[in-house]
Amino acid sequence: MRRPSLSTALLWPALLVMVPLLLGPLLLLAHESLKPFVGGRIGGDESGALTLQNYAQIADPQYVRYFLDTFRVGLLATAFALVLGFPVAHFIVRRAGPTMRRLMVGGLVGTLFLSIIVRVYAIAMTFGPHGPLSDFSRLFGISASSPDGAELMVVLGLLNSTLPLVALTLIGTLQNINPRLEDAALSLGAPRWKTFFQITVAMSLPGILSAAIIAYAFCISNLVVPMLVGRGFIVFVSNLIYFRFSEVANFPSGAALSMVMMVISVALFYGLLSLVRSHWQEAGK
Amino acid sequence: MKRFADALFQTAYLSLVTLFVAFSVIPVVVAVVLSFDARGFVGPFPPTQFSLRWYDRFLADSYYHDGLVTSLVLATSATFIATVVGALAAIGLHHATFRGKGLIQAALLSPLVIPNVVLGFGVLIFASRLGILDGMTRLMMGHVLITFPYVMRTTAASLVGIRASYYEAALSLGAKPLGALWQVTLPLARTGIIAGAVFGFVTSFDDVGVSLFLTDAFTFTLPVAILAQMRANLDLTIAALSVMFIVATVLIIVILDRVAGLDAITGRGVYGR
Repeated sequence: MRRPSLSTALLWPALLVMVPLLLGPLLLLAHESLKPFVGGRIGGDESGALTLQNYAQIADPQYVRYFLDTFRVGLLATAFALVLGFPVAHFIVRRAGPTMRRLMVGGLVGTLFLSIIVRVYAIAMTFGPHGPLSDFSRLFGISASSPDGAELMVVLGLLNSTLPLVALTLIGTLQNINPRLEDAALSLGAPRWKTFFQITVAMSLPGILSAAIIAYAFCISNLVVPMLVGRGFIVFVSNLIYFRFSEVANFPSGAALSMVMMVISVALFYGLLSLVRSHWQEAGK
Repeated sequence: MKRFADALFQTAYLSLVTLFVAFSVIPVVVAVVLSFDARGFVGPFPPTQFSLRWYDRFLADSYYHDGLVTSLVLATSATFIATVVGALAAIGLHHATFRGKGLIQAALLSPLVIPNVVLGFGVLIFASRLGILDGMTRLMMGHVLITFPYVMRTTAASLVGIRASYYEAALSLGAKPLGALWQVTLPLARTGIIAGAVFGFVTSFDDVGVSLFLTDAFTFTLPVAILAQMRANLDLTIAALSVMFIVATVLIIVILDRVAGLDAITGRGVYGR
């Protein structure tokens, strides 16, 4: 016999702490985003009628550009993370010995734990004008000082975080795929590359998509990387929200941008993720 | 032909793995080497002479010192609150049978998905509406919000394999609900709770997005202090600081491995060796 009273009792502290902390800010942000902006004061006009002008402003091509930059750069960093992260996860699950596995998983978790400022600083020092790998951008035919160079640095900075996220997620996926399926394909004469793509990659698709969604959600909400290495050429929506707060004190506009960004992130995460899960669960039946 | 294709595949596979490792390791090495640079400016790599001048400067800087103290106090207390409340909530939800359970879980985990900048901005407006202007209180509100979901998620994950029948067996053997919880469920969820607390602490300690909105002139966290310094001048004090961060991170990983095991994070899988 279950005791519903106890399980609800355990939930109460969390509800008392988290509901006000979550709902209060979000409701006030929604309200703020509907206030008219009056220059020269912090926060929207309290007495004015509510308006949608802050949202209408976001549809302006000048603003849309920031959203497109955010989505494009995020997509690049996610794609590179998948291409590099999948083989590494595969290596850790299938080929590495116990010590190697522990070392590599430790390295991945360590990278994730290390302050993002420190990691971006280290990348700026490595690929920057005086760094040992300063010629890296030339491989892509990009000048380091150009806007494209800034974009490359932002991609590298994001990649440093998305790689461990993707690899750790894919380790979880790959270790639940029966290794005998690969062995069977190989012993039946299939080449290694074909086995890899048609068995391993194909069976990992739900995991690959989940990893991509997690990495992408991380990228498009990022603030620190464009702030430190974007050099003003690459400005994410998060940076724009921060400017609205710190430089022009246009709270209503910042709040409207926040609401849009929140809806995009939540829809992307829960929407796509549940789509991926339901699709593959049905296919598995 | 098959042999050639396989060799090509093997080469591509191993080069991608090598590239990954190189990309993760080289910047860290560069930062460590630069922190010992004797030159007074950021010059071409590698440095020609070495010294500890940047460490001296970092240790003498009260700005970083204040930030470090604030960050440690903040991360410790926010993690403590989040761990107690979050672990209880995860255990409660694990045993719960009422409808709407999934919705409550998703809502409580939502700070993981909402961009930090949005949370920081929201908490700022919320706190000022409540008349809270004190930096530490505001930061605490924001940091409990972002650390809580980590503890709840990992605790919930560690409970997945634990059957409710253990708890029920304890009850039928005469244990009181709270006693069964304390002596049966809690020890079983231990690794999850510890891993969650470590994740929460690190998240709070490294946070920028939320803290930038909530700091005031007298209360600022270490990452915010570093950011302010980086925009002022890009000297190598930050490289020395980075080395401190790297050492601390390695220590945390080793402790995490000893206490909870790194496998608590990745799991072993159905076909685990």
